[in-house]
Amino acid sequence: MIEAKDVSVDIAGKPIVSGVDFHARPGEIAAIVGPNGSGKTTFLKALSGELAYTGHVALNGRDLSTMKPVEVAVHRAVLPQATTLSFPFTVREVVKLGLVGGRSGALPGEDARLPERALARVDLDGFAGRFYQELSGGEQQRVQLARVLCQVWAPVLDGKPRFLFLDEPVSSLDIKHQLIIMNIARDFARRGGGVVAILHDLNLTAMYAERIFVMHRGRLAATGSPRDVLSDDLIEKVFDCRLRVGVLPAGNMPFVLPQSAA
Amino acid sequence: MVDQSIAGPVMASVSEGDRSGRARIVILLLCLGLAAAVFLSLTSGASDASAVNVIGGWLFGTVPGDAAVSARDSLIVYDIRLPRIILGMLVGAALAVSGAVMQGLFRNPLADPGLIGVSAGSSLGAVAVIVLGATILAPVTALLGTLALPLAAFCGGLATTLVLYQVATRRGQTSVATMLLAGIALAALAMALTGILIFMADDRQLRDLTFWQLGSLGGATWAKIASVGPIIVLALAAMPFLARGLNALALGEATAGHLGIPVQRLKYMAIVGVSAAVGASVAVSGGIGFVGIVVPHLLRLLIGPDNRYLLPASALLGASLLLLADAVARTIVAPAELPIGIVTAIAGAPFFLWILLRKRGVVDL
Repeated sequence: MIEAKDVSVDIAGKPIVSGVDFHARPGEIAAIVGPNGSGKTTFLKALSGELAYTGHVALNGRDLSTMKPVEVAVHRAVLPQATTLSFPFTVREVVKLGLVGGRSGALPGEDARLPERALARVDLDGFAGRFYQELSGGEQQRVQLARVLCQVWAPVLDGKPRFLFLDEPVSSLDIKHQLIIMNIARDFARRGGGVVAILHDLNLTAMYAERIFVMHRGRLAATGSPRDVLSDDLIEKVFDCRLRVGVLPAGNMPFVLPQSAA
Repeated sequence: MVDQSIAGPVMASVSEGDRSGRARIVILLLCLGLAAAVFLSLTSGASDASAVNVIGGWLFGTVPGDAAVSARDSLIVYDIRLPRIILGMLVGAALAVSGAVMQGLFRNPLADPGLIGVSAGSSLGAVAVIVLGATILAPVTALLGTLALPLAAFCGGLATTLVLYQVATRRGQTSVATMLLAGIALAALAMALTGILIFMADDRQLRDLTFWQLGSLGGATWAKIASVGPIIVLALAAMPFLARGLNALALGEATAGHLGIPVQRLKYMAIVGVSAAVGASVAVSGGIGFVGIVVPHLLRLLIGPDNRYLLPASALLGASLLLLADAVARTIVAPAELPIGIVTAIAGAPFFLWILLRKRGVVDL
């Protein structure tokens, strides 16, 4: 369980996030949506302990600000938007860095094959020997997800849920891999872990998230289930765009929704 | 989650993309290479002293041939060649490992203590003690004795590294251009201050300084080893503990933190360790350049960037290469000798240019 109360973040004297209340429960995908610059990533960075914040964040009942990096790393893993690498590591070596904290939660002896298994899950079988820097952006993003999965391989450790923080996990992926990644997140939640994901695709959000947190100008504009939150009014207010929820395109204009995936 | 089929005998096989096996073999070969380099250094030199006879004498208590010649040979081997070899190994290992650690810290393969002003800062500290040791700094030298020189060099290197890191790193990202340019500025400043000190130096100090600045292992004595050896050994012994953290740091400071690495502590340990190792090396051997950039780069091509293997391998290859460079320096113009810094620069500078040509993108990071 992650509980954030009245969290604010200032960067260089400017308030980027103001008074956000948030929670993420095990078994659920909590999606954070909102326009560019609304403070989603900054809020996630505060939640992951990367940025200083005011307010209160509790990670499985413990005050985040009093926890050491190595303790926090046991409870949650973070997938950043993009990761550049400064040295020519192979894909396997990058994924194995997820095990650096030493608490994957896999069975004893399983750790050695974990990179291969994690790569198979993100549909990168056979990529272990390739150089990370030579991959496409979408492939790099999936390698990083495999690394993150290694860090919290077991969604529950010592009886406590673990969390995946995903910052735009599918933004550079084709539709097949968007679905694969979102299914991994859903599977992680169903096995007792929790997921916090920043998403831009409202359709994917509606399809996968149990709870949506809508951010607007650094504040929480709305929260609730997709059915409650995604309304014409809210979308117009937050995204400054007159969109209509659930309206089919006129004429015979084709449209493809992820929900139609078999 | 239990997947017994995979946990089975497959584990023993070599995994694609896993270079740790190759790294272990390379480290083993480097050990043999270092032993060969030691043997070569022990047996070559300006005099015709036969190290084989001397060592044979120590080991088996027999002194073949003329006893007087053997006593002279024994002196040459034990008091001249051996301390020089040990000092060369210490300095070579210190410089190469420091280069690798700095490259990990700055997340860039071009970081090198010599290139970015750390050595210049250390030189300033050392020269200050050499020139002012009898006058203004007399109380310091009286208090610290033979440790004054390496400590001053350490402080100079530490100050430079801290300033450099503050200037070049913003929000966990190091700008390479800023790093190199700030290094040039810091080196220029340190060299200017060193210049003032040299201006104040007397004739006797001048010759020492000039030769020392070019880099030399010529003054190696057991006393010098006793004063800087422990510092270098301690710094080298601490660095393997940074290896995993430095690996994670390759993903960026934020991500390293997410993985559970105490990033601030890692950075300070790396900076202090590098400053100590480089400071101690500069104090005894002056400006020996390019070891810190050439050695880790070659090894990364061979075994990859995993610091758990890169750091020990760098120590071994750095020690071997410096012994070979010193052997060249001692013999190429015998009975005189060339400053070893000239040898490493002649070999290293073109190599550095070659890296730039091959990986031009690295500088634009």
